[in-house]
Amino acid sequence: MLATTRTFSLLGVEVREVHVEVDVCQRGLQTFSLVGLPDAAVRESRERVRSALENSGFKFPQHRITANLAPADLRKAGPSFDLAIAAGLLVASGQLPAERLDGVVLAGELALDGSIRPVSGALAMAEAARRLGVRAIAVPAANGSEAALAGVPRVVPLERLDQLPLVGTDEQPPDPPPFELSLNGAAPNAPDLSDLRGQPYLREALEIAAAGGHSLLIVGPPGAGKSLAARRLPSIMPPLTRSDAMEVLRVASACGPLGRNGLSVRRPFRAPHHTISTAGLVGGGSPPRAGEVTLAHRGVLFLDELGEFSREALEALRQPLEEGTVAITRARGAVELPCRFMLVAASNPCPCGRGEGSGECECQPGSMRRYRAKLSGALADRIDISVAVDRPTAVEMGANGGADSAGVRARVAAARERQERRLGPGRCNADMDLAELRFAARLTRAAKRTLAQGHAQLGLSGRGHDRVLRVSRTIADLAASERIDAEHVARAIALRRRGAE
Amino acid sequence: MSPTNAGVWCLERGTEGYPPALLELGDDAPERLNGCGSERLVRELAFDETVTIVGSRHPSSYGLEVAEGLGNLLAAAGLTVVSGMALGIDAAVHRGALAAGGPTVAVLGGGPDVVYPRSERRLYERLVASGAVVSEVPAGTRPGPGCFPRRNRIMAALGKMTIVVEAAQPSGSLITAEQAQGLQREVGAVPGRVTTRVAAGTNALLADGAAFIRDAQDVLDRLLGVGISDARRAGPSLDPDLARVADAVEGDATSPDAVALATGMGPGDAAVALARLELLGYLRADAGGRYARTTLRIPEAATTLTP
Repeated sequence: MLATTRTFSLLGVEVREVHVEVDVCQRGLQTFSLVGLPDAAVRESRERVRSALENSGFKFPQHRITANLAPADLRKAGPSFDLAIAAGLLVASGQLPAERLDGVVLAGELALDGSIRPVSGALAMAEAARRLGVRAIAVPAANGSEAALAGVPRVVPLERLDQLPLVGTDEQPPDPPPFELSLNGAAPNAPDLSDLRGQPYLREALEIAAAGGHSLLIVGPPGAGKSLAARRLPSIMPPLTRSDAMEVLRVASACGPLGRNGLSVRRPFRAPHHTISTAGLVGGGSPPRAGEVTLAHRGVLFLDELGEFSREALEALRQPLEEGTVAITRARGAVELPCRFMLVAASNPCPCGRGEGSGECECQPGSMRRYRAKLSGALADRIDISVAVDRPTAVEMGANGGADSAGVRARVAAARERQERRLGPGRCNADMDLAELRFAARLTRAAKRTLAQGHAQLGLSGRGHDRVLRVSRTIADLAASERIDAEHVARAIALRRRGAE
Repeated sequence: MSPTNAGVWCLERGTEGYPPALLELGDDAPERLNGCGSERLVRELAFDETVTIVGSRHPSSYGLEVAEGLGNLLAAAGLTVVSGMALGIDAAVHRGALAAGGPTVAVLGGGPDVVYPRSERRLYERLVASGAVVSEVPAGTRPGPGCFPRRNRIMAALGKMTIVVEAAQPSGSLITAEQAQGLQREVGAVPGRVTTRVAAGTNALLADGAAFIRDAQDVLDRLLGVGISDARRAGPSLDPDLARVADAVEGDATSPDAVALATGMGPGDAAVALARLELLGYLRADAGGRYARTTLRIPEAATTLTP
């Protein structure tokens, strides 16, 4: 007898529908074969399904069994097919009426004792199920709350395989409550800006960067609070919208189950070590996996010791930074992963870390030049703001912390609102194209003069000129001014990246 | 790169055009001076208006700034600036002089057509195009050990004054200074931090009585007489707030935060003031975003602030 059940295969952060066809044939030797491009974890599914069925009070059919995962040309990875294969076997062997699973999709990994383990990507699966118009989706109980966010008519959370016959009956487990999305951005135990002592200029730079979505480079000696400041950036970014929050959750869900308890959705902060591979940073592998840029989607990607990252990894960052998506192309098709993030990088001023202005620096000119070249070559045309920091003085360390994140966040949110009114929803100054920049950068006469001085005295390049304009647009937005004044331009010039022209 | 003889000229001892200043080396004067670039510049070298500036190959950024400023302003004042095209101070001196469009001569350890160090190829090309490079060894000779101390005596002899910007102890720059002293030439040194190794040699020279060189004006006063020539170009006048910020930067406040602390301004206003001063040419910032004063002079009216 032949049975078909439906499930999903996870590809990056998207899913594709997969049909599981199970045929139990009375003639022939007793075998269990699995076809349709399964990887090792899927092939091992046979052993899990056999044990789980027997330990859940079902009979494992002693016949010739063939399971086919269609479409057959899509490579299937991961253990989430177990539940659909087991369900297909039960229907094909007459232990479960086929009507029960009409319009139901299933996903779950089986344990040998018949309990059901959570899977990655349950949110994306439930969203795909809603688009397919199914009646219900059966998921592991631990994935219930995330799946319930998607708005499928029914979500059936299953603890154990022996609950499967209850699906589609009146006794099926009740729908789990969806995660609560707290979107106000003020996560209770997130690091707060009030921890940053002194450094008023760095605070302003953080505020400007957050307000315009500008990428930021912090240069300073060890102990100056570079990474402390970077970690606090998400707390001053504007609150997530519901659709942004769903994107963040979808990425997190695709990279591992979200857990059972409601987590507050906040902007992610990712700080990969500088030894990271290119694939680890932007994503890659087969099957394609999300990289750090995708995990930082709608949040902050922090690269400490920018000069130590491999050249290839930094080069690979360019396209994702520009486009907001990473395309991973493999022989069997391309996967697109989202990656709209704010880049924050930190660096020592020189190889020895003391800084040439300190009078204690003993770096050789050659090593200094190489360090500089790498630093200024790295993403030179992608970093809008650069700020030099010092170690806080003893007085500053002893003083109380500065203002907290909430006030800064309110100003940032107001500036972003101005930008969205000008550019459209979800847009900010950092992603203005040249036409938008020309339209948005309305300069006063004094501002034009200041900018012209920049050309004459500092040799600003065309690109440097555009970056200064973008940043001064943001500074004007923070000051609630439609016109860009000379003072805004001057501040943007002070924040420009040097030595990268 | 294979050395070529194209464009190499030669001035023989005892013939017309050989720099008379070199004859003071006596028997040790080079037999011939091989050169590339402007032959006329070397032929017409005026001893009274020639100054030699040398220094460390591993300078601090302070040393580089001073060296470039000296080269620039002395060349702008019409002096011929001689140095050795080595990494660090020497190269900065040439760069400063070339930027002022002034005459500058590099004395090399190898042949005049052999670029050493190789990383200064661009500088070498600019020197050949608008200055001169000379050497006592024939074209095509690669510099070997011993070349440089020998070369140093030529530099010392060419300049009426020899200035050391930064030098550790011992160092080649100190050898040049010693040779200049031996030739009865004046020696000057730029003071440095007493805790820094690259300033040990120059500070020792000062302790031994070398001329105290703070800026190009000090050199001009020594060479030409006090008040004959003003080295520093004056910039546009400043309003009191900007002058106060420029003053704070001279007082070692190098970041917006430090300037804010020193002047009582907000950090944003301090950043604006720093940017304005940078735009006016009074400040320069390094790649890390730290500010320093340039040699541009603030006009008198604006500097009379402190009561």
